[in-house]
Amino acid sequence: MNDAAQIRQRGEEPEGRHVEPFSFTGTGREYFGIWIVNILLTIITLGIYSAWAKVRRQRYFYGNTRLAGHSFDYHARGLQILVGRIVVLVALAAYTALPYVLAFMDMLVLFTVANLVLPFLLLAVIPWLIKRGLRFNARVTSYRNVRLDFHGGYWGAFKAYLIGPFLAALTLGILAPLASRWMWRYTLGNVSYGGRKVACEPRLKALYSQWWMPALMVLLGVAPLTVLGVALFGWASSGLATVNEDTIATTIYLVFLALMAIYGFAGLFYRAGVRNVAFNAAVLDGRHEFASRLGRRRYAWIAISNFVATIFTLGFARPWAAVRMARYVASATALTVSGALDDYLNKVEETGPAIGAEYMDMEGFDFGF
Amino acid sequence: MGSDTPHPAISGVWHPPRSSRTEAARLTSAGGVATVKGAEGGERLAEGAVFSLSVSARVGRIPRRIAFADGSVFETEDNDAVDRWLKAHRGWRVGLVHGLERFHPRLILLVAVVVVLCVGLYRYALPIAVEVAVAVTPPAAPRLISQSALASLDQTILAPSRLEAERRQAITADFRSLAAHTPEGAGAFDLQFRRGGPIGPNAFALPDGTIILTDELVRLTGDEDAALGVLAHEIGHVVHRHTLRRLYRAVGITTLIMFIGGDVGSGVEDVLIQGSGLMTLSYSRGQESEADRYSVELMAKAGREPAGLARLFEVLRDDHGEDDRNDFFSTHPATPDRIEDIRRHAAEVDAR
Repeated sequence: MNDAAQIRQRGEEPEGRHVEPFSFTGTGREYFGIWIVNILLTIITLGIYSAWAKVRRQRYFYGNTRLAGHSFDYHARGLQILVGRIVVLVALAAYTALPYVLAFMDMLVLFTVANLVLPFLLLAVIPWLIKRGLRFNARVTSYRNVRLDFHGGYWGAFKAYLIGPFLAALTLGILAPLASRWMWRYTLGNVSYGGRKVACEPRLKALYSQWWMPALMVLLGVAPLTVLGVALFGWASSGLATVNEDTIATTIYLVFLALMAIYGFAGLFYRAGVRNVAFNAAVLDGRHEFASRLGRRRYAWIAISNFVATIFTLGFARPWAAVRMARYVASATALTVSGALDDYLNKVEETGPAIGAEYMDMEGFDFGF
Repeated sequence: MGSDTPHPAISGVWHPPRSSRTEAARLTSAGGVATVKGAEGGERLAEGAVFSLSVSARVGRIPRRIAFADGSVFETEDNDAVDRWLKAHRGWRVGLVHGLERFHPRLILLVAVVVVLCVGLYRYALPIAVEVAVAVTPPAAPRLISQSALASLDQTILAPSRLEAERRQAITADFRSLAAHTPEGAGAFDLQFRRGGPIGPNAFALPDGTIILTDELVRLTGDEDAALGVLAHEIGHVVHRHTLRRLYRAVGITTLIMFIGGDVGSGVEDVLIQGSGLMTLSYSRGQESEADRYSVELMAKAGREPAGLARLFEVLRDDHGEDDRNDFFSTHPATPDRIEDIRRHAAEVDAR
């Protein structure tokens, strides 16, 4: 009947253990219609439809992601998303406007205090938003009539999303695997299905084995380019330069672009490797083991060619590109099932508001279950 | 208008309430009541009035979910059968949105409409929206922005002026006589002196009409008309409300990318936002030449040397090299074209 059924027969093992591959059954042609209508209706409704557009997009991708003959589903409602977006926008506007209002009212002491305190206040709120966002995203996801849930707390998010990236940046990426470990333990390791938890304990050694190659790429690519860029900049501003200013500006810009490209490429390599490690270290309910076998070069190639194709077609290749990536990622993911998947009971009653999820969406946090 | 004739059975699977257990099942309905029966044994699994069921909307070919009041769910891949059944029992049409989304030559038309709408939004709607926003902005808003910006600058970069009081008074008097020739009158502007420090010889306008002039710029030249030309240029920024326009435009473009773009991929979204930053650069170049022309006209009206601004650019051009280029020059590049444009416009104004 479908690929999964065939592979299930092949992958049959004794004592009821069998490998169930994920698969993605959407097509670029089908998603193109959904995508273009989403854009059209969003423009016509001055952006209001974008909330419902998100629901249709997510339902298409979740609904076409299949495991053991069943698909996932996305249950958020358009109105929920819209309210979440409005709350986040109003809050961000208030956050931005407050210092102006204080300065205007000549409350210069308060203005100074607000300028110092507000950024920290936002930092303090971010873990809470992430925690609630991940919970919302989990609770609106179902598989076989049972919702996912998320149990991560505030300090977990604080460690995974603030301390981790800070340490990684401070050590110029040397502690990035530690940050990745915290992040995956928090995001995947706090998910539950039918009240049974996912455990995710990626080992540091395994993470570092995925780290050295992208790190080497950055070192070999970035170091010479940085030296070149700094030298050019110094030369240009020393007053010794006699060449056209535009030439220097263009060269510096090109060096900058090359730097971004190297970071981007190494980042894709790292991301794919870390995902493999994290999924291979994840177990649902103490018995069903996740597996991920993304090819790092293949993954980077798909991401980069998708990007180039989307740019050169002025965006119109995006549906094809999105489906292509979803297909590859799903095909490289599997669940080794011990026993059956049919004895789980839904424990989730309410999804709560979409505020955290919409904040994450706007800030570009990307974590799909 | 539910029909009483039995409808062909739809096959799919059924999940008991709250459970991941799955049974092959068939959905039939008659007399406005839907019934799910086991595909093999035929035992009744769930039953409910058709109007009380919650049926998920059709998206592509993803499975349809039909939820019963008891929490059990019938799921089927046969979307067409569900649509026919819904139509017969509830008088519903196939979802309008799904109808539009289907792969069909009509999509070419939709693409064309989207392209036209996007170009129209960027070329026409965005500038109009910016104009409307500028027009409805209460005077308090520019004052808000300006006072906050000046407070921040005073705390970080700028220091109190060390210029002699007589020199400041003389420049302020010249400035007021210049500003008196604007439609807003001299009262709409306020000249402030500061020591520039890291930003060196500089002048800039805040949207509420406050214009900041650094000691370094005043000391750069003894030429009064050159310094006044710069102030007239800054008055031009205020009169044309350039700061507000740029602000609204940036907000508008980011909003367009975020909401209209929807799913463009995170990499492409970054590129769009960076790209719009570059577009803003060319936009502010347009604003600079508008302010240059304004300077020429205002100086002429006030009976000053119309090309005074060009003289300052020449001083800056000849002087640069020892500075670290954080000055007026870096945001106002004194290209030969620009000096020439100012001189040409000054000649035109003179000829009138």
